Amino acid sequence: MEKNKRIKRILEVIPGFLSWGIITLLILLAIFNPVTCAVIIIIFDFYWIIRTVYLTTLLVMAHHRLYRQKEKNWLVECHRLQVRGIANNLYHLIIFPVYKEGLDVLRPSLKALQECNYPKDRMIVVMAFEERNPGARGTAAALESEFKVKFFRYLSTFHPDGISGESRTKGANATWAAKRAAELLRSEGIKDEEVVVSCFDADTCVDKEYFGCLSYHFLTSPKPHQASYQPIPVYNNNIWQAPSFARLVEISSSFCQMIESMRLEKFVTFSSHSMSFKTLVDIDYWPVDMVSDDSVIYWKAFLFYKGDYRVIPLYNTVSMDVAYSSNFFKTIEMQYKQKRRWAWGIENFPFLVSGFLNERQIPLVTKIRRSFHLLESHVTWAVWAIILVFIGPLPIILGGAFFNQMAIGYNLPKITGLLFNFTFLASLVWVVLSRIILPPRPRGVSWMKNVVMILEWVMVPFIILIIGSLPALDAQTHLALGRYMEFNPTQKGIK
Amino acid sequence: MSNDQRIRAILFYLSVAIFFTGLPVILSSSLGYKFNPRTLKFAKTGIISLKTQPQGASIYLDGELLNDKTPATINELLPGSYNIKLELKYYYPWFFQVNVEPRKVVRLEKIILFPTRSNIEQLNQDKVARFWADKDNGRIYYLNQEGTILYESDLKGERFKELGSLPPGFVSFPKELKTSPDKEKMLIFNAHQIAVFYPKPQEEAFYIQPPVLLDFSGQQIHNVFWHSDSYHLVLVTDRNIKVTEAQANSSPVNLVNLNSGVSEVFYNVDNDTLYFMDSQTGEDGVSYDNVYKLELNKKAALLNELIKLRQNGKE
Repeated sequence: MEKNKRIKRILEVIPGFLSWGIITLLILLAIFNPVTCAVIIIIFDFYWIIRTVYLTTLLVMAHHRLYRQKEKNWLVECHRLQVRGIANNLYHLIIFPVYKEGLDVLRPSLKALQECNYPKDRMIVVMAFEERNPGARGTAAALESEFKVKFFRYLSTFHPDGISGESRTKGANATWAAKRAAELLRSEGIKDEEVVVSCFDADTCVDKEYFGCLSYHFLTSPKPHQASYQPIPVYNNNIWQAPSFARLVEISSSFCQMIESMRLEKFVTFSSHSMSFKTLVDIDYWPVDMVSDDSVIYWKAFLFYKGDYRVIPLYNTVSMDVAYSSNFFKTIEMQYKQKRRWAWGIENFPFLVSGFLNERQIPLVTKIRRSFHLLESHVTWAVWAIILVFIGPLPIILGGAFFNQMAIGYNLPKITGLLFNFTFLASLVWVVLSRIILPPRPRGVSWMKNVVMILEWVMVPFIILIIGSLPALDAQTHLALGRYMEFNPTQKGIK
Repeated sequence: MSNDQRIRAILFYLSVAIFFTGLPVILSSSLGYKFNPRTLKFAKTGIISLKTQPQGASIYLDGELLNDKTPATINELLPGSYNIKLELKYYYPWFFQVNVEPRKVVRLEKIILFPTRSNIEQLNQDKVARFWADKDNGRIYYLNQEGTILYESDLKGERFKELGSLPPGFVSFPKELKTSPDKEKMLIFNAHQIAVFYPKPQEEAFYIQPPVLLDFSGQQIHNVFWHSDSYHLVLVTDRNIKVTEAQANSSPVNLVNLNSGVSEVFYNVDNDTLYFMDSQTGEDGVSYDNVYKLELNKKAALLNELIKLRQNGKE
């Protein structure tokens, strides 16, 4: 036990150690050996150019797929399956873990469910409140009066505070709610394997075809219980009202998820997603003491099924709120904290590697590949912007006259310039794509906003500076120092 | 495997291939190496960076015209000496012999090409004997050949006009013209006289009030400076340093008697301090030159009082 703790602690230190090690090494090289530093930066710049082109192409492909399936009637597709002998007996269990969100956030989420193109008599809704929130009961009662009869079953749960072994995390609340739902399913005589559970952030508004799309993919998947189903998260609920900075950050997040949806071997669940309820029960629900429950649940299932578990991308959107605040600096702070919470997903690394160490049936190659992917993506996240923006010019600044008369001293700024030109070209593609996923302009919003929403992309370098790498480095440093983060939900903007 | 995944796999391997084939090329080129496919060896090379003002000059390297115009980078040059010639129509050609060292860059980035037909333009529209340029006011002042009439124009020579005649009593040829710090007055002085004007640049009339002529007969005026209050003048003559108001009938105050003749002087109008050189006889009986500083800023108010007192005394 003690040994496991020690191993876990070492694993917690590794990401932060690597990230800080890379940054420190490059700074020292810039001072003492600028030529070597410049060589590394040129390699990194070239890698980043290729990566930008590659990922932008994936983004275009994912976008094309999303666009192609936009108008598809998935319920009709499910009916067609019945002709092929695949019956759709599925129930959808939808859990909304709620913390302090009020009726203004929750009502649109339930309304979106109600307006889904899917039989409501196959939908079980669980509003999972925190008992420690004094307004929870009132909110629950108001929602029940409005939505209770709209679905097959509707349940309000109240997660008690201070249960032994739990942290104040979303996963603890969702687990409590799922267990209450399991009791309900038993009482109704519904089998776990007939249920697909979707755990949504409180502000999630699903697309009307979401459950049809989910059912279709679940029914047609060769191993439906050994997969999670990941929709594309977009932040359209209040995107027209959100300030430019927050809007750009969230559009970039959506783009990242779209790109990830194309890289199936690395694809991990994020935010709102769905999975087999049977699997959820088998793996003992969500973690109750980890912040990044949305991705840890995937790794739990991955370990449970000895590596034979995957994420199936659903090219259907779930829309959430852009997080922003009353003023610019508070918005930056809020976005920073949200990204740091996402970057806290690095806690998956010690969890996964510890799991791999105790697991003998997963092939070593798979273990190495998945651990490496996880570690590499987080370390890259923590250092890329710092290398490109801060360390890139250091050899020229610190290298002095000697370095500047070297051929590499002359070529370094040219290659960095080339990188920024490629990024600029790529950002033109992002501008076009961002326009396509944008919902129609609401009434009362000036048409000039269209122009603003194009011009605001010039802020990208500024955003990269502030929340490119720092939140991830911050999260890894906290983990390395053993200062664990508690779940702190992001305050979302108005709808 | 879906079509998308197949395309993605192709893209991925293509990217990896581009990275690993492109990287050696980029790195070796960045470091100043050139691959020789004949010998299958890397040779060390150097770079010449050329930037000219104006841009667009043709480049000849050892007499051979290159397919590039300035600003340009000439890469992959084997170490050695090269003759560079830059050519641009209507400009003088530029020549340089440069020594290229391995893995280094020679930066020739401050080249100015001068036009073959210089842009010489006559500014004065009348015959002139002297001129003074005032950068702060953006004006050029001209004195006619007889030394009697002043003209002005802007720095481009445009808006050339006559300012007016010097006062009739201003007898000899002026040494210098100076504008007051508040830009409302000008002085012009010769060996014994100072004329103070009140020009009105926006209008045709030269004077808003008649010029003032200060006469210092019997003394040789070495230099005159405007005090920062634009009211007092600091005079350096062959005998002394004095202050006077730029007014008719003002009584100069003698501040310093000079031992030697004409002194080297510098006046800092920012803090109203005069720096001058004068000789002093030491205890050994030998004359030494020293540099002195005379502060006029704190004393200006006192000086004014002093001048008024003198005037009252005269009356």
